[in-house]
Amino acid sequence: METGQQEQFAEIDKLRDELLTNIKCDVEPPKQLDSREVLTRIENVILGMVATLSKDEAPVLVLPSRSDWANVSFDSAVGLQMIAGSSVTTVRSDCPLSVKKFAQIFKILSIIYKLVQSNSYATKRDIYYNDTQLFGYQRAVDCIVDDISCMLQVPRRTLHVLATSKGFLCGDLSYLEGDGSRVNCLSSSAAVPVSSNVAGIKNIVSSAKFVLIVEKDATFQRLIDDDFCSKLCPCIMITGKGFPDVNSRLMVRKLWDTLQIPIFALVDADPHGIEIMCIYKYGSAMSFEAHSLTVPSVRWMGLLPSDLQRLRVPQDMLIPLTQRDESKLHSLLRRPYLASQPSWQKEMDLMRQNKVKAEIQSLSAIGPDFLSKVYLPNKLRYGGWI
Amino acid sequence: MGWPFGDDRAAMRILNEIQRVMRLIMLLRRQRGCKGLKSGEGGLMVVLWNSKESYRVDHCRPLLDVSGAPMGTDLVFGSIAAAGPWCEGFATGNLKPGFTDLIQKLFPSEDQGPEPDQEELCGFTHMHGPIHLLISFQVKVAKQFDRQEWPFHIEAFLHKLSLTNARVKIHFSCKSYQKRLQRIFSGKIQCKLTLKDQWSTFLDVTSSKPGVSVGERPWCHGGHPVPGERVSLSIPPAAMERGLYGELSLQPVALLAPCVLQYPNLATRLTHIQVEVYGPSNVPVASPTDFLQQLSVHLNCEELGIDGILRWNDPTDLQPRGGATLPVEAETGPEGGRSLASVEQSLTLLLFLHHMDPFTSELYDVIATEELLEHHLEAILTNNRQAVTAALQREIKSILNAHRRRSKASERICSAFEVISSSALSIVSSSSNLDFRAACLSNMRVRDTHGLSQALREAQVRVTSWKFVPKARCYPVPQEDTPTRTEM
Repeated sequence: METGQQEQFAEIDKLRDELLTNIKCDVEPPKQLDSREVLTRIENVILGMVATLSKDEAPVLVLPSRSDWANVSFDSAVGLQMIAGSSVTTVRSDCPLSVKKFAQIFKILSIIYKLVQSNSYATKRDIYYNDTQLFGYQRAVDCIVDDISCMLQVPRRTLHVLATSKGFLCGDLSYLEGDGSRVNCLSSSAAVPVSSNVAGIKNIVSSAKFVLIVEKDATFQRLIDDDFCSKLCPCIMITGKGFPDVNSRLMVRKLWDTLQIPIFALVDADPHGIEIMCIYKYGSAMSFEAHSLTVPSVRWMGLLPSDLQRLRVPQDMLIPLTQRDESKLHSLLRRPYLASQPSWQKEMDLMRQNKVKAEIQSLSAIGPDFLSKVYLPNKLRYGGWI
Repeated sequence: MGWPFGDDRAAMRILNEIQRVMRLIMLLRRQRGCKGLKSGEGGLMVVLWNSKESYRVDHCRPLLDVSGAPMGTDLVFGSIAAAGPWCEGFATGNLKPGFTDLIQKLFPSEDQGPEPDQEELCGFTHMHGPIHLLISFQVKVAKQFDRQEWPFHIEAFLHKLSLTNARVKIHFSCKSYQKRLQRIFSGKIQCKLTLKDQWSTFLDVTSSKPGVSVGERPWCHGGHPVPGERVSLSIPPAAMERGLYGELSLQPVALLAPCVLQYPNLATRLTHIQVEVYGPSNVPVASPTDFLQQLSVHLNCEELGIDGILRWNDPTDLQPRGGATLPVEAETGPEGGRSLASVEQSLTLLLFLHHMDPFTSELYDVIATEELLEHHLEAILTNNRQAVTAALQREIKSILNAHRRRSKASERICSAFEVISSSALSIVSSSSNLDFRAACLSNMRVRDTHGLSQALREAQVRVTSWKFVPKARCYPVPQEDTPTRTEM
């Protein structure tokens, strides 16, 4: 049994050794900011506004443009990073169209200031309910918190604003939450929600050989139902339920930093799934805090476009690519990080060529438990990742 | 509605004479096909003076006053002269033979009066060149006609005339016993207006400074007229019986002044709506209309976005004839400093009548038709009340769109300012960084956070209200200065 287990994880152990060797020692994580620094940066914004008004000029807030790819550079060891002095958007206080956003930013700055000063925390939802009439929608608060994070050049967590986690964990993992409560994913019969205060997690204990990031909650639940974590024990599974929230990404990074075990991604064989995987691996618009949010060592386990042919997935399970899919695929192929991933490029070219996509669920057409009994075990045993 | 002061009919006669001359000039210009820019320039001189005289009305019996005593009457003499390119060639060439007959028909000899002083004419010709047309008339008035007010009505009429004939300098001189009134009307800022199927006209869109609060800031010296949609008018039977036929329509042109387009955040408050009517020859109507005065009752202020109630002027107030001034009575509301700076604006609605009758082509008949039209104007407007009111409602609403947007923008900005100020103040008050607090207070030149709060609000209002965005269509400088009104 133990020999079988050793054989099962032989490729994984090999990968781990390789990863540990390649970890660059000269990439230093950014200096941790203390509360005083955060407060000072907020005070500078206020002082700037006051000084501008005193000169009889209209105050303007300058926000780095988070959605512009021209503002981003790529480092293979870190992922996507924001370039200093990049393109910006301005929010004017003398324009009726933008003055409301200006006010919203100031309101949230004042709330954050109080949170940091008192070392307390609030969720984005709490901030929204502080003044629903001013904010209008939750999304406005979400965007502005990220904008403030970019503007002040501080990680989001230093603002003491917690995002609601939507991810889940299960497997061989236990840790202490920031409030002192103990979490044991193994003993729990159901998946455990990802902590909303990942930075506060301590005493992580796990003998897992790998972490499996699962794109969709449906697949995650299916694997739990199939008792995957016991069959391929020891391992950890995590899902962000689609587009991952910051806490889920922080958790993946934390697992990597602490356990330094291979991390695999199981996503649909479609451009959307590939993009989600890239976010875990290389980051996104929150690129100025890439160090804490990305795991460049993530490997693509499945579902690969080449798997569709190799496994002879039935044709009726294959879905033609839409215009939007093709557009996204084209955009992904132009991303700066793809150049360092020729095998990924090859898979994406194959998808573009065949003009079809497929969900992980398509494997159930081959056999009901094909995913957990055959596909994943074989991938893990024989190193079927790229 | 009659004038409450002086001899109503006599004052009306004077106005009618001036109207008649102006109609003649305008129609002759059209007949000659005057279209060039320069051809619209020139001068018009209107001189009025009176002489004291006691005489019999019909050479048989004297005028008697209320006590039965014989009453003396005065004569008011008037001369209207036209000079310059705008009336060149009127009495020359092919026009001359018929022209003399036309003048005789329009201005019968028994109504003709003496010419004015040569000195008066010299100054005029020196400025505008030889006189191409000179009509002199006399009007009998009651002795009590020596009032202060009648020159006011003539002056107001000439002012309205100059509004739509901006390239013509109008010299008005009125000598009434010991008083002398001189005024020159000239458009400083002119705007060419071309309406469909009508001749181009030059409007005087000169605008006054938008209040003392503008200070030394740049401002637009002119207005921007907005033509509205033409409204067809039906001619009532009574007017048709008198000989008024053809197609009649009305086209409004709206002018909001002063222009504040370059200050997008400046709030505005409408003070009054001025309505003036112009006949087909572009000559202002002099007859009063109750219809226009009562517009305030029929217009929906709420739909127009007017912050107040439209009134009509007290009939005992002195008002120019022919148009209407509808003041806006502001609604009383809570006082507060929670508003951006604002300026007062007035809206002028110029209503141009357009008449087409293929069977009327002789100048005399055209002039007569226009006089008939004016005579029945009240009935015409009343007959088309719904259409005219709806059209004016539409035009006013359209032109006040910008006003409504400003109002909303002002509210939005003020509301945001409250949040910005209170948020900034919250941070300053709770900060333990003494340098930061000191820097904030010193920048705004205040001693404490209470003062800072006030100073921030005032600065925000000041900076935002007067945000200046230059517009190519605005007039940055006035074109020329004209002498102001003088009384000797």
